[in-house]
Amino acid sequence: MTGDEIGILLVEDNPEDVELTLHALRQQHLANDIQVVRDGEEALDFLFCRGPYGQRSFESPPRVVLLDLKLPKVDGLEVLRQIKSDPRTKAIPVVILTASREEKDMINGYHLGGNGYIQKPVDFDKFRETVKQLGLYWLVVNEPPPASAFRVR
Amino acid sequence: MSEKELTEQLVDPQETIRLLQKELEETNSGLVALTLELEYRVDARTAELHEAHDELRRTNSELLQMTLELEERVAQRTEELRKLNEELEARVRGRTAELESTNRELEAFTYSVSHDLRAPLRHIDGFSKLLLEEHGPELSDQARHYLTRVRDGARRMGQLVDDLLSLSRVGRQEVRWHIVGLSALLEEAQRDLQPEMEGRQIDWKISPLPFVECDPALMKQVFANLLSNAVKFTRPRERAVIEVGTMTRDDQTVVFVRDNGVGFSMKYADKLFGIFQRLHRQEDFEGTGVGLATVQRIIHKHGGRVWAEAELNTGATFYFTVGAAEVRETKDPIALGGEA
Repeated sequence: MTGDEIGILLVEDNPEDVELTLHALRQQHLANDIQVVRDGEEALDFLFCRGPYGQRSFESPPRVVLLDLKLPKVDGLEVLRQIKSDPRTKAIPVVILTASREEKDMINGYHLGGNGYIQKPVDFDKFRETVKQLGLYWLVVNEPPPASAFRVR
Repeated sequence: MSEKELTEQLVDPQETIRLLQKELEETNSGLVALTLELEYRVDARTAELHEAHDELRRTNSELLQMTLELEERVAQRTEELRKLNEELEARVRGRTAELESTNRELEAFTYSVSHDLRAPLRHIDGFSKLLLEEHGPELSDQARHYLTRVRDGARRMGQLVDDLLSLSRVGRQEVRWHIVGLSALLEEAQRDLQPEMEGRQIDWKISPLPFVECDPALMKQVFANLLSNAVKFTRPRERAVIEVGTMTRDDQTVVFVRDNGVGFSMKYADKLFGIFQRLHRQEDFEGTGVGLATVQRIIHKHGGRVWAEAELNTGATFYFTVGAAEVRETKDPIALGGEA
């Protein structure tokens, strides 16, 4: 244990979406261990424990990554590809949380190993319900991968 | 020479010789004349033949010339056609490239609409809601009313964006042909409608539907939209009756969806399938006017026809064909069994 465990890594460039998502999680008392990164590069730095996140350890990854697709610098699908093609990160659950309902995004998301695909509803009540269920499922219901799943064998 | 003369001549040999000489001379000169005449005629004929020969040669060379010219023209025309063909091919290539690029732009546009337009709408709705929840008590009734209107607007625009996207998706999507039973698609569409049917009394009269070659996802969308309309527009009826069946018209199988809802005046029938066209007020029946436009686009993509008959306050019937795609005789016993 390194003490830097977090529940959710929210990869979201839009400040309004960050605020609304945090608000919804806060109402469910799930916002304490959430880390927000604002572009694809920062997400990769965080997950691969480098740059400003050089002190982090691969053995305490987030319980789930909520990944927007349209991101500055490195886009969401590329972030997903890199996470899922490295043995140290591939076990991290990644849920795509995007405004897009384009079939090709969904197909690419699943082909690259995404663990879920959720379209952000316009209706805030539905959005809040979605975020609540997501938080509860991944932080409470789901059994996370054991630490050894993140070691290179 | 008479017999008497001859007798006299015979008497005088001199005279006979003279006479004979004279006769010979006469004959001779006759022959000379004849020869001259003949020579003249031969000359004339020869001249005629020469002329004819010349004429033939001229004609021949003219023909030769014409042939050469024709050949040249054919060669020219062939070249022209080849160039034209090349030009056409180049234009087709150019047009195809243009269309492909337009298509890509359209896709990028749709993507951007899908992603970028929905986000601010979500924020408008979200923050209005939070304002209402967290500061509602500090606001006047009027302020709360305005905020509700803001939220309604945002959600309605969200619905419009979603419907537009689904229409554009139908437009871009290629038809993926499969042989499929329409009854199964209808059932699926009906199941998806459950939430809208809660608390309603609806009599479903559903006849077996044929197997057709179609895109199952798109065809299910047709049923979903038609059934959803039928459920929606029978809302004022205590007991709604929705009938789905087939009939034959012009040797073609026609599928119909009939309801006893509020119907519409046939005066507006031509507007029915237009995008964003609505025949009812938003307060009475919600909607964006995209459903039937989507139905029409799907049916047209299948090479079929769609039309409607209705009477105000009595009900409406929507008819459609699926092109010539019906599988009339299926040898697959499972397929047959599924229809029953």
